[in-house]
Amino acid sequence: MDQKKDVSMIHYLMILPGVGFIVLFLGSSIFITVAQSFGLFSVTGTSRFTFANWKTLWERETIDSVVFSLKMGVLSSIGTLLFAFPVGLFLRKGGAGKRFLASLIKIPLFIPALVAAFLILNIISYHGIVNEVLLAVRLIKSPLRMLNDKFGWGVVAIQIWKNLPFVLLIVSASLASIRDDIINAARNLGANNWAILFRIYIPLAMPGILVSMILMFIKAFGDFPITSVAGPTYPPSIALRMRNTATLFQEWDKAAVMGVIIIVTTLFMTWLYSRLAQVVEGGNP
Amino acid sequence: MKGSSSLIDTTPLHVREARRRRLIYVLLTAFFVITQIIWVGVPVLMAVLWSLVDPQHPWSFPQLFPEKLSWAQWAYVFKYTNIERALKTSYSVAPLAVLLSFLLSLPTAYVLGRKNIPGKKVFMLVVLLPIIMPGMVVALFLSRVFAAFHLTQSFFGLVLAHTLMGIPYMIRVLTTSFESIPQDIIDAAENLGANTFVKIKDIFLPMVRPGLLAGMVFAFTTSIEEFNLTFVIGTPTFETIPTILYSFLGYNFIRTNASVVALIMMTPNIVLLFIVERILKADYLSASLGKV
Repeated sequence: MDQKKDVSMIHYLMILPGVGFIVLFLGSSIFITVAQSFGLFSVTGTSRFTFANWKTLWERETIDSVVFSLKMGVLSSIGTLLFAFPVGLFLRKGGAGKRFLASLIKIPLFIPALVAAFLILNIISYHGIVNEVLLAVRLIKSPLRMLNDKFGWGVVAIQIWKNLPFVLLIVSASLASIRDDIINAARNLGANNWAILFRIYIPLAMPGILVSMILMFIKAFGDFPITSVAGPTYPPSIALRMRNTATLFQEWDKAAVMGVIIIVTTLFMTWLYSRLAQVVEGGNP
Repeated sequence: MKGSSSLIDTTPLHVREARRRRLIYVLLTAFFVITQIIWVGVPVLMAVLWSLVDPQHPWSFPQLFPEKLSWAQWAYVFKYTNIERALKTSYSVAPLAVLLSFLLSLPTAYVLGRKNIPGKKVFMLVVLLPIIMPGMVVALFLSRVFAAFHLTQSFFGLVLAHTLMGIPYMIRVLTTSFESIPQDIIDAAENLGANTFVKIKDIFLPMVRPGLLAGMVFAFTTSIEEFNLTFVIGTPTFETIPTILYSFLGYNFIRTNASVVALIMMTPNIVLLFIVERILKADYLSASLGKV
């Protein structure tokens, strides 16, 4: 369809309140982050252009935090998808009981992240119900340390619980858009269930899978509150280290470098998504 | 349908196949429903029970349920913590942030939904940025900008910050509802001599109302949940429910107090969002959260 473009000054003026507000506040915040990482607009001391703050990139603590956050991002996005995809496949077609199931699944979406963190850490804590049940059925001899554990499984568990409905929403939307004709045709031509899963469902739902995984990665990578309450004592996530560097040690310039690391990673992932989406869509005309 | 034939042997193959499929389907549904009830129900139930544990009768390992239930923890939280002030702050910032984001969003959403201007895709992406950008980075360095304008530790600054987090939902949902108004109706109204005022009153407002309601609820719940910006810009002068909850989860994990605050925080949100979902269709949920 040939749509003609309306070019009018008034329309741009009308866009200004909403978009301008976002650009003003986010833009200024990002600008200050980048400027302070190079020593400009410094809060403490004199402002002059310098690369000195960037030395923190080679510090053991910073590297540990970045690696930890990357790990959390990757595990949370893969973990959530592994839970969401089967449910999405099951919910693809309507049927008795599914409306109820769908609204049941959606509940954590409506629960604030910090509350979700509490709900989960309450059950996985040292004397939480999960440990008690495992002890009662003699699966373990002594309670497992799942909260503030060295690896960060507690954080991953919270991220999966809280974000499962969010990922499911995106994944099932793209699964629902697959037409039944294609599946029937494949079955007619002798495809078994595995072939249908790997050659139809997964490739055709790929755009949705990519969006949800990348959004999940960004969320878990830049997370502050959840790692702060359920993460290991060392290393802290990069966002947690950044906040401590800024407000506890008053090293704002160094914190700005970590801020830039987070922003660049986020932008890189967004860019990666747009590239991958092109490849995926190019592959399935 | 069942019992239409008593002789199983004569049942045609495709009927038996259909029955087998239906059985698998019922079993699968039951499996998913039960796992979901445990998955969602146990964490919530544990929080409710912990919030009702009586301080005189502690709940510890061998007991399956607390010995005695009481409202003592609730009374304690309201008496000895800042929860009342936090509730007041939370529930006065949120409506103001909703109002401000509505006023700012309306013209923007109208143009994005109804006009085909160059650069529309870029604008739609910019609108999503506050949701995508990691909250703590934005919070920390926005606080530097706010400090320059004396907006940190101020009520107005808090409203501005919450507006920033709510505005993406508002714009996206309103844009979707403006988009869904058929052009025919507007053309017909114009043909019949409707002026701009009549068009706004009789077409745009009624047709946008469901979207507006959804946008308001999304912006409202976002504001109630907002943690990063409030934590950096508002505390310690202004405590909201999330920052109080955070203080109970940190170094001194007080299970019972945290349970009470968590329930205070999540119940209104769940109720609001479920009401909205009942009134509206699921499209609004995916419009605001999903398709990017």
